[in-house]
Amino acid sequence: MQEGFLSEQRVLEGDLNSDTSHRNSVDFLIDWFRKRSIFVLAYGTGCGAIEMPPTFTSRYDAERLGIRGAATPRQADVIIVSGYCSYKTLRRIIRTYEQMSNPKYVLALGSCTVNGGMYWDSYNTIKKLEDYMPVDMYVNGCMPRPESILEGFIALQKEIGDGKATSWKKYQDNYEFYRKNQEAVLGNKVEPAYDADWYLYDGGL
Amino acid sequence: MYSEIKNRFATSDIEEKRDSLAKVVVERHRLFDLIAMLGREYDYVTLSAITCADWIEDGHLALSYMLTRADRKHVMMVQCMIARDEPHIESLSASFKQAQIMERELHEMYGIDFVGNDNLVELSLENWIHTPPLRREFDTLEFVENHLTFREGRDDNMDVKKEMKRLRALKKAQKEAAKKAKELKEAESKEVKSQLKEESTDVK
Amino acid sequence: MIIFDLMMMFATAYIVGFLYYGLYRNITARFQRRIGPTVWQSLYDSIKFFNKKDTISHGWMFYLGPVIMSSGAIMTLFFIPFFYQSDSFSGLSKYGNLFLVLYLMLLGPLGNAMGVGASGSPFGIMGITRGLTRMFAMELPFYISVVALMSINHSADIATIAANQETLNAFAYPLLFIGAMFSFVAMMGQSPFDVVGAPVEVYSGPAAEFGGKFLAILMSQNSIFSFAKLVLMVNLFLGGADGFLELLGKTFILFLFVIAFGSIYGRFKTHQSVDFLVKVPTAISIVGLILINWR
Repeated sequence: MQEGFLSEQRVLEGDLNSDTSHRNSVDFLIDWFRKRSIFVLAYGTGCGAIEMPPTFTSRYDAERLGIRGAATPRQADVIIVSGYCSYKTLRRIIRTYEQMSNPKYVLALGSCTVNGGMYWDSYNTIKKLEDYMPVDMYVNGCMPRPESILEGFIALQKEIGDGKATSWKKYQDNYEFYRKNQEAVLGNKVEPAYDADWYLYDGGL
Repeated sequence: MYSEIKNRFATSDIEEKRDSLAKVVVERHRLFDLIAMLGREYDYVTLSAITCADWIEDGHLALSYMLTRADRKHVMMVQCMIARDEPHIESLSASFKQAQIMERELHEMYGIDFVGNDNLVELSLENWIHTPPLRREFDTLEFVENHLTFREGRDDNMDVKKEMKRLRALKKAQKEAAKKAKELKEAESKEVKSQLKEESTDVK
Repeated sequence: MIIFDLMMMFATAYIVGFLYYGLYRNITARFQRRIGPTVWQSLYDSIKFFNKKDTISHGWMFYLGPVIMSSGAIMTLFFIPFFYQSDSFSGLSKYGNLFLVLYLMLLGPLGNAMGVGASGSPFGIMGITRGLTRMFAMELPFYISVVALMSINHSADIATIAANQETLNAFAYPLLFIGAMFSFVAMMGQSPFDVVGAPVEVYSGPAAEFGGKFLAILMSQNSIFSFAKLVLMVNLFLGGADGFLELLGKTFILFLFVIAFGSIYGRFKTHQSVDFLVKVPTAISIVGLILINWR
């Protein structure tokens, strides 16, 4: 449990006790660069997406911490799951997450990702994000203000710098577990069909 | 207008809800005639929504077609009942193109089959194999408990502020206890040291 | 010995290019009234991307895209002399002239176009289409100005043009300079001509599918290529340089101007930028070309 953050930031997941003694000085340096340069995927789900623009623009200026937006998942390091995930969104999030290149990190915003939040009895939203994909850092609140998001980012940077943010490894190692949970809510087709049908189909959208 | 509808469509169930909204209930085989008539003779040219209510006690679904007049001042709500057991009705998508996606949603949420609408594929629920979720026999809470897992501690329903206060007090008490223990230890070690000193001076 | 010279040129361009891009981000941030990242931020980014654990590839042609692009950039750099008098930092400029440099500047984008095409990303292909469309218009005023300079100096050698300026070409032939500056802003990918990598419209365009080490290579080549273009522009219009301080000062002033220009203006649409570049700067350059005879 980490303490001392203003917004009562709490690490719900992530191996805080993972072994980092094997790191040599080169790893240390690389982790420092990773920490200083974080590309965040410009992707928003749910209501939390509205807090991200002020975080990244002039008012709160996340770029002074080395945090900036990336347009495509190939270039991104961090995906922010910003709010409730319906099944349909979860499918896209997983797809996007799997397109990102390692090492990648997940930042989950809002109480919806922690335990369902105000959608706790909804048939169409998931309750615990970490069942379906690994999460490095939760930022609680409904919604978290940009200050809290920045705090979450700083906590994430600390984890990255210490070499403890290894959720991507966890996803690789426990892929069967995550896949099983994903199939439980999404059915057999976890990945959405990506073709032009929805666009060309008469009345498709 | 109301008297004409009463005469021509053999319905007495006309209710003026407010200045801008009136409700008409008709038999389902006269429904499309009424909608066509309203559009043709009274300028109700826009279909703004199709809604549905599930009357599980009476055993039917109430389908309401909201028709807006061309001057946007008045809305006519044309309602008809269809049986819950075999929910199907003719599609309106031939005369109103926007009915296509509204019917698609109703098909998804209530399982109503719109005959003549050829694109009743899934809209926002993907791979949904259970009961259509807005039917009243679908128990949301039961579904959530059966299919999804909650994080532990969700249901204890504690007051967050009180809990934080309690935790802080606990922490403070622990700190003070640790401080006291430390002081005690230091005092003991001092005593031991002084004793040792005394002993050493004795030896000298 | 020439190998050592080339390596020094490469290292200088790499470090100075990244520093310039760090400054670019910082200064843009100041324009937008925020603090902005440190000067080293671009270097951090590129090192981080070089140390990504895995990189997604779409076959060998995709692999070759960034390689061709960076080789085009590095070769352009090698054929541009940093100083007009000294032998050091002149690279291969004895063996090639301005024609070769202009050709090499086109090589990179064309190679990258093939790489992006292999990826199959629709946004990448859209960005490349925009880029090639703009390139056609962007080169026109620049080529006209350069041809005018070559005819004035009776030489296509960059060092000769750089040395042969009693008053700076920028002031002696202001119309040529203005025409070339417009296309130079476009070459540096600045607003209002930044239609290629527009992040909101085409999701960073040609770089959409490149991640990890590919993106690191692209970023490095971008900073090297930018520095090469800055040095070329200084040589052609601002009288070249005689020492490092002069070179850095002149390139930085030029870069600052480009940043300021880019920060002020919004983005053109593709056809607007082509229209503008073909009409206004080209006309200015042509008038400048005609006016040479009356000097």
